[in-house]
Amino acid sequence: MNIDVMSPPKYSVLLPTYNERQNLPIIVWMLVKTFTEAGLDFEIIIIDDNSPDNTLEVAKQLQRVYGNQKIVLRPRPGKLGLGTAYVYGIESSTGNFVIIMDADMSHHPKFIPEFIKHQQKHNYDIVTGTRYVSGGGVHGWDLRRKLTSRVANYLASVLLNPGVSDLTGSFRLYKKEVLAELIARTKSKGYVFQMEMMVRARQLRHTIAEVPITFVDRVYGESKLGASEIVGYLKGLWGLFLDI
Amino acid sequence: MSRAVRFVLAFVLFFAAWATLLFHNRTLPDLVLPPVFDKIIPVIPLWLLVTFGSYSLANIGWALVTFGDCPDAQASLLKEIQAAKMDLRSRGVSVD
Repeated sequence: MNIDVMSPPKYSVLLPTYNERQNLPIIVWMLVKTFTEAGLDFEIIIIDDNSPDNTLEVAKQLQRVYGNQKIVLRPRPGKLGLGTAYVYGIESSTGNFVIIMDADMSHHPKFIPEFIKHQQKHNYDIVTGTRYVSGGGVHGWDLRRKLTSRVANYLASVLLNPGVSDLTGSFRLYKKEVLAELIARTKSKGYVFQMEMMVRARQLRHTIAEVPITFVDRVYGESKLGASEIVGYLKGLWGLFLDI
Repeated sequence: MSRAVRFVLAFVLFFAAWATLLFHNRTLPDLVLPPVFDKIIPVIPLWLLVTFGSYSLANIGWALVTFGDCPDAQASLLKEIQAAKMDLRSRGVSVD
């Protein structure tokens, strides 16, 4: 605890990637800019699952530009899932805090200093970005997508009473040991993974703060929400309802 | 106790109480209720169901109408992407 107080905190950003060749350089550029301007110590850990579009090659170029202290590469042989990507990333992280976000630029790094400010105010264990409160928002969703997301969140709030407004969001800051503990207890995959992390956090009485964020649906590539994702979400929700 | 178990318990307790009132002539012979209650009690579950449904629809509908948009965030992001690309190209990173 004393060490935390004395040495300035370091932030590790975990970026799991799969076919993000176009997005990765830009998100890294924006991250570096944000952290440098705020005067914060950071590292970016890129966990690439052997993307066919050769995301790793671009990541190596970025490492040459920004140095291997700031850009850490942890490639994996194939698509092995989000949870294990985080575990893998945490193992290599040297920070006290871990930030998870999407690499597709739907999450903007400009909110990170706000996350950090909130975290420091009351020493929160978790700060989560929320699209669903005043000041937050989403750009690029049609009515069907908005309705789906609202119904999904309403169902979850009735069944699980999680106390967090944006359950399926994935732009969050964690104390490193808290993230590691939560991942170890979380069983779900996909959309439900992020939701289960929040529900488990509440169960373990971790403190959670919310910060409004804007979410711009991906500029490059396609965001998918099909019938199989919806069925998967409902199954996962039901599983949590029985389990929590 | 899981959330599911708590939900089931609440349902069982509610229906037990409701059934007791519904058949109060036999279950609570000493209880004297005005006759109007015998008309209200049978429809309480339906009334609760409709109320919950209305609340859900209103909640989702309101949340949908007030769903925040952020066109400015997209506009500034697109500008930033251009700036990032220029800078990255000058440093030898391949961007499309």
